[in-house]
Amino acid sequence: MAYDIEAVRQKYIGFETAKARGRYPVEYDAIRRHCHMVDDNNPLFIDPEYAKGTSHRAVLAPPSGWLALYFASLGPWPAVFEPLFPIVPTPGKRIVNMSQEVEWTARIRVGDHLSVTRRVADVFQKGITIDSEAVWIVAEAVITNQRDEQVCMIRNTLLTHRTPEEVAAAPGTGQP
Amino acid sequence: MNGKQPYWEDVEVGQDLEGFSVDITQRRAYLQVSGSQDWYPVHFDQGFARKAGHADTFMNTGFLQAALVRVITDWMGDDGFLKRLRFEMRRQQRPGDTMVCKGRVTAKREEAGECLVDLDVWLENEREGVTTPGTATVVLPKRGAAGDAA
Repeated sequence: MAYDIEAVRQKYIGFETAKARGRYPVEYDAIRRHCHMVDDNNPLFIDPEYAKGTSHRAVLAPPSGWLALYFASLGPWPAVFEPLFPIVPTPGKRIVNMSQEVEWTARIRVGDHLSVTRRVADVFQKGITIDSEAVWIVAEAVITNQRDEQVCMIRNTLLTHRTPEEVAAAPGTGQP
Repeated sequence: MNGKQPYWEDVEVGQDLEGFSVDITQRRAYLQVSGSQDWYPVHFDQGFARKAGHADTFMNTGFLQAALVRVITDWMGDDGFLKRLRFEMRRQQRPGDTMVCKGRVTAKREEAGECLVDLDVWLENEREGVTTPGTATVVLPKRGAAGDAA
């Protein structure tokens, strides 16, 4: 059955998930691991004694939308990352994140407990070199803390596509 | 404190942020998985990446974002506040690359009682040039004002 982008757009744009709470509060070691990916030794993010002496009085999470989403959404094991946004049907299951925008309204401290609501902001079809039927999804996530204050809003533009093998196996489709 | 606290009055348009660089090694790719908990195989499994049409594995959103955020937070001090960050992942950082992370002040303004500084931030490597261009807006304290603690 042919993929119907108009039907998908009509059904899924504006779709919003129920608010989900992260399994654990924001914790030290996940922040340390995140910082150490890029040799970030900022004591405000990894040293509780140092952080206690600042105006924030606690270790902060670096202002990374990825990390906020991690604390707000991870929990199940094995981790659910494939596909990133499984709600919208797409011809291909390979995903590349093309851009991200994060607007911050509050800092995240160790001990905060974050939640997330996700929303499909847009879905459209635009071919790429290896797949003429690539589908793009603009996904928004609103992160809130335990006081129900908005911490940040994250907007990702995700490219979903088929592998070259899948394109070659689909008669009548393929290279643009 | 992470370096000297910059104040809004002292920032000059055109000023470069210090930045840093990291070598993208296989070890760094594993640090990426540990630090981001992103288990999507395109970021560490060469066969999976090539099957999808990529030349090699490449570093993920969480890693690239952490690098851009570090450029900003190393500079803005404990009392700076990152208000907005937008970046595009146009080209890839792959094993074998040296990722160079940079930033520059593009504007400063006061808006709705906040002292704002606009930045260009970006990642580059020798193979591709700029891979990940971004823009950011930071709130900085003014001299003599009480520290912001959102």
